[in-house]
Amino acid sequence: MGLLSNIRALGPRCALLLLACGVAGLSAAVSESQLKAVFLFNFTHFVEWPAAALPRDSAPFVIGVLGNDPFGHDLDEVVRGEAVNQHALAIERYPTVADIRSCQILFIPAAELRHLDGIVAQLEQRSVLTVTDAEGPLPRGVIIGLFRQDNRIRLRIDLQAARASNLTISSKLSRAADIVGGGS
Amino acid sequence: MQANTRPIRRTLMSVILLTCGALLAISASGFFTYEYLTFRQVTLRNLQILGRAIAANSTAALAFDNPDDAREVLSAFKAQPHVIAARLYLNDGRLIASYPDGARAPKAAPPLGSAGYRFEGGILRGVQPVVQGDRQMGTLYLESDLGEIYEHFQLFVALGAVFILVCGAATYLSSRRLQRVISDPILALATTARQVSERRDYSVRAGKPPGLEFGLLTDAFNHMLTRIEGDQSKLHSQLSRLDLLHRITRATGERHDLPSVFRVVLRTLEEDLPLDFGCMCVYEASAEALSIAVIGARSLPLSSALALTEGERVPVDQNGLARCVAGELVYEPDTQDMKFPFPQRFAAAALRSLVVAPLLVEKRVFGVLVAARHAAEAFSSADCEFLRQLGEHVGLAAHQAQLYGALQRAYDDLRQSQQAIMQQERLRALGEMASGIAHDINNAISPIALYTESLLEREPGLSERARGYLGTIQTAIEDVAETVARMREFYRPREAELVLARVACNRLIEQVINLTRARWSDLPQQRGVVIQLHTELADNLPDVMGSEVEIRDALTNLIFNAVDAMPDGGTLSLRTRVVAGSSSGEAAGYVHVEVTDTGVGMDEETRRRCLEPFYTTKGERGTGLGLAMVYGMVQRHSADLEIDSAVRRGTTVRLIFAVADAPALGTQQSPQLQQPTRRLRILLVDDDPLLIKSLRDILEQEGHHVTVADGGQKGIDAFTASVTRGPQFAVVITDLGMPYVDGRKVAASVKAASAHTPVILLTGWGRRLLADNDIPAHVDRVLSKPPRLAEVRAALAELAAAAKPVASRADSA
Repeated sequence: MGLLSNIRALGPRCALLLLACGVAGLSAAVSESQLKAVFLFNFTHFVEWPAAALPRDSAPFVIGVLGNDPFGHDLDEVVRGEAVNQHALAIERYPTVADIRSCQILFIPAAELRHLDGIVAQLEQRSVLTVTDAEGPLPRGVIIGLFRQDNRIRLRIDLQAARASNLTISSKLSRAADIVGGGS
Repeated sequence: MQANTRPIRRTLMSVILLTCGALLAISASGFFTYEYLTFRQVTLRNLQILGRAIAANSTAALAFDNPDDAREVLSAFKAQPHVIAARLYLNDGRLIASYPDGARAPKAAPPLGSAGYRFEGGILRGVQPVVQGDRQMGTLYLESDLGEIYEHFQLFVALGAVFILVCGAATYLSSRRLQRVISDPILALATTARQVSERRDYSVRAGKPPGLEFGLLTDAFNHMLTRIEGDQSKLHSQLSRLDLLHRITRATGERHDLPSVFRVVLRTLEEDLPLDFGCMCVYEASAEALSIAVIGARSLPLSSALALTEGERVPVDQNGLARCVAGELVYEPDTQDMKFPFPQRFAAAALRSLVVAPLLVEKRVFGVLVAARHAAEAFSSADCEFLRQLGEHVGLAAHQAQLYGALQRAYDDLRQSQQAIMQQERLRALGEMASGIAHDINNAISPIALYTESLLEREPGLSERARGYLGTIQTAIEDVAETVARMREFYRPREAELVLARVACNRLIEQVINLTRARWSDLPQQRGVVIQLHTELADNLPDVMGSEVEIRDALTNLIFNAVDAMPDGGTLSLRTRVVAGSSSGEAAGYVHVEVTDTGVGMDEETRRRCLEPFYTTKGERGTGLGLAMVYGMVQRHSADLEIDSAVRRGTTVRLIFAVADAPALGTQQSPQLQQPTRRLRILLVDDDPLLIKSLRDILEQEGHHVTVADGGQKGIDAFTASVTRGPQFAVVITDLGMPYVDGRKVAASVKAASAHTPVILLTGWGRRLLADNDIPAHVDRVLSKPPRLAEVRAALAELAAAAKPVASRADSA
């Protein structure tokens, strides 16, 4: 019963989102960008930010997208109405590294990795979960990488980088991902 | 015994084991149910925890669509063999992973509405939402078989069975011991009961086992045995008394006289009750006393100490015996406490307890039974009751004895009456025969008498010798007539009423002496025995009133008896004397007539009974009626009879008559009117030709005209013819006994035709007719055969004289 009421509380949009999300993994009906948007959102559940890094007062919980936004409207759809710790979720787009403002999650598309050093420098001492969808080994300083394998999106997590950013990755998330960058 | 004790023990064991078994089964099933329910709950709870844990671990796998991770998470169920299936579904119902690998599983998610854990058809199903934070990532579906529960219960049941077995064994062993606590006393009681019933020995007692209730049971059982033993002994004594009563009743039933009944009762009581002293008393109500009838044979030695003898009288009132005489049983437990002399006598003879039981016949006390014992209070109530009942039985027996005696007497009387009737019948037959003979003799001698008398009167020219012969003939005929008359009188039946006449006893004695001469003189002489006759007759003896015939018969009998009493001869004495009456006496005086012999005499018994009819000492020779007839005569004459007798010295029988009141004027006058008679026409009717001829000759010699008719009818015809045609007959003389038409009918016819014609009846039946006033109707005069000429003349003269003017029967009386 509790579950039933929870699901109702989620509201029709969420159900729609989940439905879209579920469909993505199996068929072409769900696009890769949609799936990645859902993943981005889901990270908010498995990562703990230090208190200082969380938005103050009524400031939104921000997911930033650097450079060209590969999601289109997909990410906006996913986070609409959602909240993390009573903070509303907001999507901010930073065209350049310099544009990067205060955010909790920064998605760095593969094309933007050429600015990696600047990004890392920019985010120095700031607890930002960096996520990229570049294939191959995880670039230095990026905490989570999304890559394709067997027609699925898989995760790669650099726990060392996460620790460096003062972020706590849920062990549950670690279980579902490939871990690089040293053990615990 | 083994076979019988088994069931008790086995039953007890069974009861104990069954009870324990049932208890164990109930508790085991309770435990089982509890364990089952609890274990279900635990299983459910475990699965729930497991589900939650797995769900928590599978959130990332679901969130990031990682089937491998999901499978890995689910593979943790390998450690739980009873989880038979586990599946992870995404929120859109897509299956992401299932356990075990490759298991066929529905692709679609189970209905989301059924979240939770529940048992369904032997399987525990769980639908666990997978939630990260407050967001549901998917659903975990679980299935677990109940094998764990079953395994658990198998163990449980196995343990329970072992436990029950151990308990049962323990119970069996302990009950084997414990049941003895109950069964042993019961078996002991049963054993005792069997002993009692087998041996009929009620003195056996059951041992008392420990334990209050068994003790009570045993006490109750023993008490019951005591009661039964008591009842048994009572029963035995009752039975023996009953037997005693029976024997006494039988013994008394065989006896018919009171003393022997009493004797047998006392003897049985003395031997079998027993008694130290017993006697029977008869109650004499008039004297208010108990007369001691019989004292028991064994009690006789004591009776002298008691100063009691048979025949002694004990006054009722003075001895406190009134209650007993009223029909109550009196029991004196200690005679020493009694003040009355009768119990005191017993106390003095060391007989301390005394019972006086009434003997009852129809609620009337006729006697008492006195029973005594030496010890004080020696009679139980049962003894008293027995004696009371015995009293009734003895009373009954005595009553029966009395009845028997009465019956015996009645029977004797009946027998005597029968003999008397037979005797009388014989006498009657003899008397009738004698009458017939007398009649014939009288008829036969009538012509002789008539002709002899006629010859002597009418033939003066007879020689002296002839006259002498004729005289002798006449006397002989007279004697024959007398003898015949006596013979008849002797056998003549007695009249109902006694006709009293004056009787001169001296004359009577002389007659009797002559009559009995043959017995006292002739017959003894034939045997060479001499009997002297001695008479002693008083002068001027007054007449007595009586029947000459009866007195003569009585004297004859007395003489016969006297002769019979002197078979070896002796003296027979006959005496008469006058005894003056007492001063205030009714009669002027008494005439004593004594017959005395010097014969054998009579003893006391014979003297007492000799007057009883048919009592005889002469055996077949005697009728036993002689003295009885004498006594009957004496009673009818209001006379007295005295008998003096001594054995071997002789007997005197004395008849005592009252003297007749006034002296008689001679009534026995026989006026011989020898006046000449006128000539008469006489009709003579008789069937005997000899008699007709002789009488006709005689009457014709007298000058009468005689017509004869030889038969009754002819006589009647002749007379009626004479009445109608004449000349009429002046007198009719007819015989009495004739065939067809007898003298009475002739007389009646004569009187019918001519009432004044006198009729003279001739009878061969003797002179008694005259004396008896038995003159038939229509007859004026009766003359007996053989007729005497003088009588015939007198009658004709008298009747002819009276006949002419008035002929009446009254004159002839």
